[in-house]
Amino acid sequence: MSRFEIYSPEGLRADGRRWNELRHIKCGINTHSKSADGSAVVEMGASKVVCIVQGPQEPETRSRVREKATLSVSVTVAPFSTTERSKHVTNDRRLQEMSANLQNLFEEAVLTHLHPRTEIVCSLTVIAQDGGLLSCCINAMTLALIDAGLPMYEYVSACSVALFDQTPLLDPNNVEETELASVTVGIVGETDKISLLILERRLGLDRLPPALELGVEGCKVLRQVMDKEVRRHGAMRLASRAE
Amino acid sequence: MSSSDSENESDVEMILEKAGLVTPGEMITDDTIWMRGHGTYAADNVTYSAVAGTIERVNKLLSVRPLRGRYIPVIGDHVVGRITEVGNRRWKVDIGASQDAVLMLGSVNLPGGILRRKSDDDELQMREFLKEGDLLNAEIQTLYADGAAALHTRSLRYGKLRNGLFVQVPASLVLRLRTQVYRLEGGIEMILGINGYIWIRKATSTNANAAPMDVSINRLEQESNSMEIYKDENDPIPPSTRQTISRYANCIQALVYNEVGINEARLRAVYEASVVYTDAGELLDNTVKTDIVKQAMATL
Repeated sequence: MSRFEIYSPEGLRADGRRWNELRHIKCGINTHSKSADGSAVVEMGASKVVCIVQGPQEPETRSRVREKATLSVSVTVAPFSTTERSKHVTNDRRLQEMSANLQNLFEEAVLTHLHPRTEIVCSLTVIAQDGGLLSCCINAMTLALIDAGLPMYEYVSACSVALFDQTPLLDPNNVEETELASVTVGIVGETDKISLLILERRLGLDRLPPALELGVEGCKVLRQVMDKEVRRHGAMRLASRAE
Repeated sequence: MSSSDSENESDVEMILEKAGLVTPGEMITDDTIWMRGHGTYAADNVTYSAVAGTIERVNKLLSVRPLRGRYIPVIGDHVVGRITEVGNRRWKVDIGASQDAVLMLGSVNLPGGILRRKSDDDELQMREFLKEGDLLNAEIQTLYADGAAALHTRSLRYGKLRNGLFVQVPASLVLRLRTQVYRLEGGIEMILGINGYIWIRKATSTNANAAPMDVSINRLEQESNSMEIYKDENDPIPPSTRQTISRYANCIQALVYNEVGINEARLRAVYEASVVYTDAGELLDNTVKTDIVKQAMATL
């Protein structure tokens, strides 16, 4: 297999996975219990995102007083998160768009009408990036919101799919993501209902359905992993309470 | 108990059985006889959980209590709060809930007697009584439709706090009891706000008189005559008392670290267990925290 081969004829990718394999997922809930109402860390392969949720709390500005809770999302990328140290960028359009996407997505998923006149502040920090940044952020935010005890309809889980010719590749890493067109899929719960779909490059319409199908399957696995973590932490908490 | 209740008994068992823990989106029941309470939502007549927590049942009302979350105000709760804003005839008070509570000028005791009308002058000198950053203890008087709370301090038990140390803990770890004010060993008094805000102070003679039993109307009028109750300066506090206060604060932190609910008996026990460490600062070590809480819980 050549060094630059993305997907070998034998069906192996550069990092040794097959087309339908996710990277190693590690998630933690309530990781920063002292400093936040809700917190979570999600690692997908070498990507790592920390999410801190404060609130619901009194809005900082009057403009955020509404008849439902306002979500304010901010994404920060640590300068050491890439292989080459990047200079600090204050107003990155990509990050702004990402936080807008996250805000729209979660305003639908959280029962915001139950907390009128409040603000929920979500701060995401990207510690390491190796592809699938948006999906990593979504998964971290879901866990952090659950940890904060906020009412949600369902888990929101997301993962991305890259397309190599006709073959969809699940959960691409940075190399695959830069070489190929990729699509990020987000679903609510274990249904096939897609709540988020972001495609940043040109793609033939006929190539999209298999990618979506694979993406949804990946999301379902992610939901299970996250649910397991929530239950593990919950059981621990209940046990310490019962003592 | 009506007959229909007993018929459902097995059903109830089933729901509560699976209910060690539910997570968002998990189906609780598809039976329509249940009423849906907090932490649940309905879609197509099926009740789902909206939070990660445990199912609780009161008659036909099913609700899910989240594992974590902010303090939810309840009328009559004794809370400790911090002034965040001085507004038009009212103060805004941070009580750790999702919204700031309101303390109306009309619901505080002002110098010059309890039965005095609030004048425009009072309105102008509101900052003389309570200003931003001041701590106070109060009772929740009413709740508004959106869940915000209104406070009152119309008793000598309540009012501005001084001579002490503020400790914040998760509200879920404070156990609800008949009274929230304790006299502790070493001349210390503790106000255990149900919202998880705690005030540990030097016990003074006036504080002692303010114990719930001794409050009489006469006393109230006499004491509230002066500006005394809104005084900012601390009384002189000897170093030994300061040590004791910080020891209690660290004992509370130890209970929090081990996720043990806080009440008077437990705090006393932990304090006794902590005495072997001569310096209060030693209690900040995590292994020490676990040790003293284990010892204390064994004695109870």
